[in-house]
Amino acid sequence: MKADRKLIQDLTPEIENTSITWYITFIILFGIFATGVYGLYQQIDKGHIVTGMRDNVVWGFYIVNFIFFMGLSYSGALISGVLHLFNTGWRKPIIRIAELITIISLIIGPFFIFFCIGRLDRLYYLFLYPRIQSPITWDVIAIMTDLVGCFLYLYLSFIEDFAILRDYPDLKVAPWKKKLYKTLSLGFTGTEKQMKILNNARTVMAAMVIAIAIIVYSVLAWIFGVTLQPGWHSTIFGPYFVIAAVFSGTGLLIILMWIFRKIYHLEAYITKRHFVNVGVLLTVIAAFYGYFTFSDYLTKWYGSIKMDSILIDKLFTDYYSLFIFANYIGILLPCIIIAFPRFRTIPNITIAAVIAVTALWVNRYIIVIPTLETPFLPIQDVRPDWITYSPTWVEWSLTLAGVSVFAMLFMLVSKIAPIISISEMQEQDENELLN
Amino acid sequence: MKKKVVFAILCLSLLPLSSFQLFSQEVTLITPYISLQYFKNTDDQRYVQTTLTYSSNRMELPLPGMEVTFFNGGDKKETLASIVTDNKGVARFELTKELSLKSNSDGMWVFSSEFKGNDSIEAATVEITVKDVRLELALAVVDTVKMITVKAFTDDNGSEKPVSGETVKIYVPRMFSLLPISELTLDDSGTATVEFPSDMPGDTVGKLAIIAKFEENATFGNVEKRENIAWGVPTDYSIPKSHRALWTKTAPKWMIYTLSVLLAGVWGHYLFAFISLIKINLDAKRKAKEEYRV
Repeated sequence: MKADRKLIQDLTPEIENTSITWYITFIILFGIFATGVYGLYQQIDKGHIVTGMRDNVVWGFYIVNFIFFMGLSYSGALISGVLHLFNTGWRKPIIRIAELITIISLIIGPFFIFFCIGRLDRLYYLFLYPRIQSPITWDVIAIMTDLVGCFLYLYLSFIEDFAILRDYPDLKVAPWKKKLYKTLSLGFTGTEKQMKILNNARTVMAAMVIAIAIIVYSVLAWIFGVTLQPGWHSTIFGPYFVIAAVFSGTGLLIILMWIFRKIYHLEAYITKRHFVNVGVLLTVIAAFYGYFTFSDYLTKWYGSIKMDSILIDKLFTDYYSLFIFANYIGILLPCIIIAFPRFRTIPNITIAAVIAVTALWVNRYIIVIPTLETPFLPIQDVRPDWITYSPTWVEWSLTLAGVSVFAMLFMLVSKIAPIISISEMQEQDENELLN
Repeated sequence: MKKKVVFAILCLSLLPLSSFQLFSQEVTLITPYISLQYFKNTDDQRYVQTTLTYSSNRMELPLPGMEVTFFNGGDKKETLASIVTDNKGVARFELTKELSLKSNSDGMWVFSSEFKGNDSIEAATVEITVKDVRLELALAVVDTVKMITVKAFTDDNGSEKPVSGETVKIYVPRMFSLLPISELTLDDSGTATVEFPSDMPGDTVGKLAIIAKFEENATFGNVEKRENIAWGVPTDYSIPKSHRALWTKTAPKWMIYTLSVLLAGVWGHYLFAFISLIKINLDAKRKAKEEYRV
C-alpha cells in the first residue's frame, strides 16, 4: 500500500526520530509514575492505613479514578463508533485519538480497583467462585469483554496504516519495527476483496463497541445503583453515568486534539472546524448531562427520604464548593463558551473542555464520598477520620501516576503508530481531489 | 527600702492564694455512680453485682480496675469479698449456698457495696435489702390450650407464704433479645396464669425456652425461672435445592439466560471480526503466491 510521503511524515512525527522534548517529557512523567510506585509500596508494606479510607468510608480516590478512567474509555469507544457508523467526514483526523483514549483508559482504570482491594491475594476467587447475581461479577465479565472488543476494533483501524508503513521505502526505523509492521499488517495490500472484508469487520465492531460501552458503563453504575445507599439507589444511574462518561470523554478528546496539534504542528489536519464540531457535541452532551443531574437531585430532594435529605444537606454545606463547581460551573461554563460564536476560539474551547473534565472528576468524588459519609446508623463519639474522608499523599501520588501513565502510553504509541490515521486522511484527500 | 519590704510582704501574702488555686485545679474529683443488684437464676444460683460508672460529656462511662468491697448485714456489716471491676465497670460476687447470710429484723438480707475512692475518684457506697423468693414455672396443656402458670412463695419462719400483688414478666428468647409475652400480677394465692400463643416459631422440632422473671423488683431483686419445651411451631430452615434467588448459590434462570445471550451475541461478533482478519491474511498469502508464480 502506498501513501503520500508528506502525509506519512506529518502524521508519524516520532516514529523515525525522537525529539529531546519527548525524552524530557517522558522522564518527568516517569518520575511522577515512580512516586506513585513508591506510594503503592508503602501501601503494600503498611496496609491501607496509609490511605484516607477507613471502616466507614471504604471507597476513596481509587474508586473515583476507576469510574473516571472507565468513563473516558467508554466515551472514546462511543465517540469513535458513532462517528464511524455515521461516516462523518470531519471525523478522520480525530477518530484515532478517540480510539486510543478508549484502550489506554481501559488499561489504567482497573488498576485502581486493585489498589482498593485489601486482599489482592484472593483476587482469583472472583474467577473461581463467581456469583452471577453479583454486580461485581458482571463488571469483571464486562470489562474483560470490553477490553477484547476495543483492542480488536483498534487493531482493525490500524491494519491499513501498518501496511502503509510496511510498504514505505524511505522509512528509517529499527528493523524490529519493520518486522512489527509486517506482522501486524497481516499482508494487507488493499485489494478490493480485502477492503470489503476489513470495512465490514470495522462496521460490525463499531456497532459492537457502542453497544458494549453503554452496557459496560451501565453495569458500573449499577454497582452503585443496586445498593440501598442514599444518593446511589437510583434508576437513572445507568444512563446518567453513560452520558457523564461521554461528557468527560468529549472534553478529553478536545484537550488531546489541542496537545497533539500544538506539539506535532498538525494545524493543517486538526483545524478549528474540528474543535467547533467536537465543542458543539460537548455542549449538547452537557445539556443532557445537566438535565440528568437536575432530575436526579430534584427527585431525591422532593422525595424527602430522611437519608437523602441528610445527604443533600451535606452536599450544600460541607461539599458546597465542590458541588457548585461540578454541577453548575462545570456544565454551564462550557455551554456558554461554546454556544456563543464569538467565544468559539481553539483556546477557549480547550479551556471549556478542561473545565468539563475536571468538573466530571469532582462529580465522581461527590457521588462516592458524601454517600459513604452518610451512614444509615448514626455514628457518635468516634475519631473524625473514621467518618470523614481525607485523601493522603499515597492516594494523590497514585492518582497522578495514573494520569502520567495515560500520557506515557500515548507517547509510546506515537513512537510506533500514526496518531492520525494515514489511510483515512489519504482517502479524504482522494475524495477532495475527485470532488 | 520600706516600700520594697511592703511589696515583698504583699507578694509573699499572695503566694499561698495562688498556690491554693493551682492545687484546687489539680484535685477535681470524679463523682462515681454506684449501683448494686441482686440476681437469682433458674438454677437457684445467687449473686450480687455492682456497677461503677461516671458521667463525661453527658455519657455514662465505666470505671474499670476499681476495687469494690461487698458486705452483708445492716448495722453489723460483715465483709463478703473485695472484687476489682472489669472493663465494663462491673464487679460480681457469687452468694454460694455455703455462705450463711444474715437477715435483718424483717427477715430480709441486707447487702452493701463500697468503693473507697482514690486520688481522682470520690468514694461511694450503696445498700439494698432483698427477700429470698421461690419462683415456680409450670407449663401444661389444658384442652389443647398451652397454659403458663407462675407461682411465687417466700419463707416465713419455716412455712411458705404466697407472694401477692407483684408483677412477673414472661419472655421467650429470640435471636437478639427477649420477646415479652405477658406481664402477670400474682393473686392472693401467689399464682398467675396466662395462655401461650399458638403461633410462636420454635426450632426445627418446635423447641423454645419460656422465662418467668421478677425484674428489678424492689423486694426480690432479679429472679428468673426458665423452662425448655416444644410448644413452638417447628421452623423449616432448609432451602429447597431448586430455589433460585439473589442470595442462593444458584442464580435465577432469567439472569443466566440474559447473560448468556448477551455474551454469545457479543463474542459472536468478535469471532466474526477475528475470522475477517484470518480471511484478509489468507487472501494476502494467496495473492503473494500468485505474484510469485507470475
